[in-house]
Amino acid sequence: MGKELLLSAQGVCKAFGPTRALIDVDVDIMRGEVRGLIGENGSGKSTFSSITAGALKADTGKFTLKGNAYSPQNMVEAQSGGVSMIIQETGVIPGINVSSNIFAGRLDRFTKMGFLDWKKCHKAANEALDKIGAPEIRGEMMIDSLNFEDKKIVEIARAMSSDPDLLIIDETTTALAAKGRQLIYNLIKQMREANKSILFISHDLDELMSVCDTITVLRDGVIIDTLDKENMSIELMRDLMVGRELVGSYYREDFDGSSSDEVVLEARQISLRPYFKNIDLTLHKGEILGLGGLSDCGMHEIGKVLFGFEKTLTGEVVLTEKGKKVDSTTTAVTHSIAYVSKDRDKESIILNSSIQSNIVLPSLRRFSRFLGFIPRKSESGLTSAQIDQMRIKCRNGKQLVKELSGGNKQKVVFSKWLGTEADILILDCPTRGIDVGVKADMYKLMMQLKKQGKSIIMISEEQLELIGMSDRIMLLKDGSVTKELMRSKDLNEREVINYII
Amino acid sequence: MDNSAAITRESEENQRIQQDLDRKAKSKNLLNIIIPYIGLGFLFVFFIIVTQGKFISTINIENLITQSFSLTIIAIGASFVYAHGGTDFSIGATCGCAQLVCGLLIVSGYPLWIAIAACILVTILGASATAGIALGLGVPVFIGSMCVRTTFNGILQYVAESGEVVIDYKQYMFMNSTYLKVIILVVFLAVGYYLFNYTVFGKYNKAIGGNPVTAVQAGVKHKKLIFAAYVALGLCVGVAAVFTLFRTGKVTGTTGSGVEFNMMMAIALGGFPMRGGERSRLSAAIVGAVTITVLANGLQLWGLDPATINCVKGVLFVLIVALSYDRSDGKLIS
Repeated sequence: MGKELLLSAQGVCKAFGPTRALIDVDVDIMRGEVRGLIGENGSGKSTFSSITAGALKADTGKFTLKGNAYSPQNMVEAQSGGVSMIIQETGVIPGINVSSNIFAGRLDRFTKMGFLDWKKCHKAANEALDKIGAPEIRGEMMIDSLNFEDKKIVEIARAMSSDPDLLIIDETTTALAAKGRQLIYNLIKQMREANKSILFISHDLDELMSVCDTITVLRDGVIIDTLDKENMSIELMRDLMVGRELVGSYYREDFDGSSSDEVVLEARQISLRPYFKNIDLTLHKGEILGLGGLSDCGMHEIGKVLFGFEKTLTGEVVLTEKGKKVDSTTTAVTHSIAYVSKDRDKESIILNSSIQSNIVLPSLRRFSRFLGFIPRKSESGLTSAQIDQMRIKCRNGKQLVKELSGGNKQKVVFSKWLGTEADILILDCPTRGIDVGVKADMYKLMMQLKKQGKSIIMISEEQLELIGMSDRIMLLKDGSVTKELMRSKDLNEREVINYII
Repeated sequence: MDNSAAITRESEENQRIQQDLDRKAKSKNLLNIIIPYIGLGFLFVFFIIVTQGKFISTINIENLITQSFSLTIIAIGASFVYAHGGTDFSIGATCGCAQLVCGLLIVSGYPLWIAIAACILVTILGASATAGIALGLGVPVFIGSMCVRTTFNGILQYVAESGEVVIDYKQYMFMNSTYLKVIILVVFLAVGYYLFNYTVFGKYNKAIGGNPVTAVQAGVKHKKLIFAAYVALGLCVGVAAVFTLFRTGKVTGTTGSGVEFNMMMAIALGGFPMRGGERSRLSAAIVGAVTITVLANGLQLWGLDPATINCVKGVLFVLIVALSYDRSDGKLIS
């Protein structure tokens, strides 16, 4: 097969304020090639794909597409030039039907004298949906009546409807279940057979290995290496992404699930409508208790009730030693309970504030002297100690949190709770959306905390994480506990999944 | 190969570029902060020229202090409310009503201190009602303040309809002393600055403005804090109301009207972030308040009639907002 250059990017640079997202990036993609793009959060993958798809503009650098200079002003222009993208988060427009979503910005072709020919529009939409293998979704349907996965499929139809030469798939598969994934894999096969190209971005290294012809590794806005099929290995990719060798196992290595008999936190018959009903739970000193289940099984809400952020309808949450009822976040925080929310950017951090303000927030009450005075020193002292201890990548404590990468934001969240010296930590999906390097750090940290006698409740949607880290696992389904499992070498994913589906 | 990233990042050229970007970001930040001061300075020079120096005559400087006193005091209180992302449309109405109560008590022969205490109590009640409605019923504070505004306006107009309340302010000349005002202003500024920047109260309010959910999850009693911020605003409005009454000497149906809009203009002109949060600065609200006063005073001295002054204010408002309003939020940064 003669290799013909499809897209070439040369010397691409992009900065957001003082943050340099891309530095001198060169990428060549051949026709018929499936190119993987990997890197930790904040390494510039999404920035590069957004520029290629016309959603952002590069500061400097040159693009050529099919031999011609290429600099799209927006996504619609990029799409007519032959580049389409499916993005990470939902990119559909709510409140309108499927057809309008598929042809958003390109409805002129169905318009005559200012009137839209719906029949023609729906027909074209249905053809596009049939072509990608989703005949159950129809153009007349309202987009809001579809579930998350089907919305993603509509987006795929939109991307494919313009018959692109280059399709960019930005971390889409992680959000999809089997059906959507299969659809995308089929699509990739079709594209390759038609001598068209794919730029595939994913965190799932196994998936990348099986799908891609070549894989480019980005770190810190710079291209580190491009691997071809023979050189690919998961270990190498991991090391290249992180920039150092990851030694030892990811999760904890012992299988000793025993912990002290001393109960520190107890929930008696707590309920929150419509999420869960009559749950009993006990947490021991030095224990890592895993809560597992599907996303809507109620476990996330249990975490919120245990922390006093939501009020239980029945029963109570009690700190065993002091006999204190946890009925508000204020009680929880003053009695050494910490809570890391699943939705980091919306709940756990103030994006427009400095690292320092975020880290000291739950400790302010402790720092406060006469008339609420806060000594500057205690604020900056805690901040620099935490930045050092957690190895937060930043210029200094005054830097805004929104400028940090996902993993470093999560480190800030952990820092603020470590700063309170909490004894009980409720962690809701603590490693969600963060990359391997930081993930390993977080697991190590959890083990350290356990050894210090702190107790952890880890709520997780990842079975491997639950099995890998917990002393005890409570599995939930539809708001009730279905099974309790103790730590053991023989636990496997299949056994866990049985109780949650 | 493993070090190539480090080499590229740390190469001399790239370090220079990074420093350049850091400098640019810093100066942009600085510019946002100093633009309001430059604007104020420009107005000063402009008015000195067009009024041939009358603008900085001793009499007018004293006038400026007297005139900016009320709005500056209110700006100090309002900073706490705007810092947590709140607003208040009712301060004009409560300010008017408070003056009415104060005036009536004085006319009926009550001692001065009782009248003053009652005046401040009325504005604190008004602000508490605004916060109480919003927090208690779980509605936007905008709605709460509209309820209070309408009610207090109604009371003011109902009573003032039966005749203006006129006090014999010559009896209380000391209440118009510039020295007294300067002392009060300095005390309020010092306490306000301390609370805003160095205490739990200020920091929590800014945190609530930044992200209320994060603040609550950090154990902040947000309702209590929001309420306290409104009480602080009420107190400041009350003090401003007292001195306004002794300056004008009478209360009519329109007393106090427009104060809330002057306040909001001051907030915007000074570069105070409309949604609050960490970038809220007390000094921004105060610079804004002074700018508004200087503008009104200067234009009047220049010989413009009040209606024209309002037009000029409006146009200028658009100009300054276009220059300084922070539109960076909500932009795509990934």
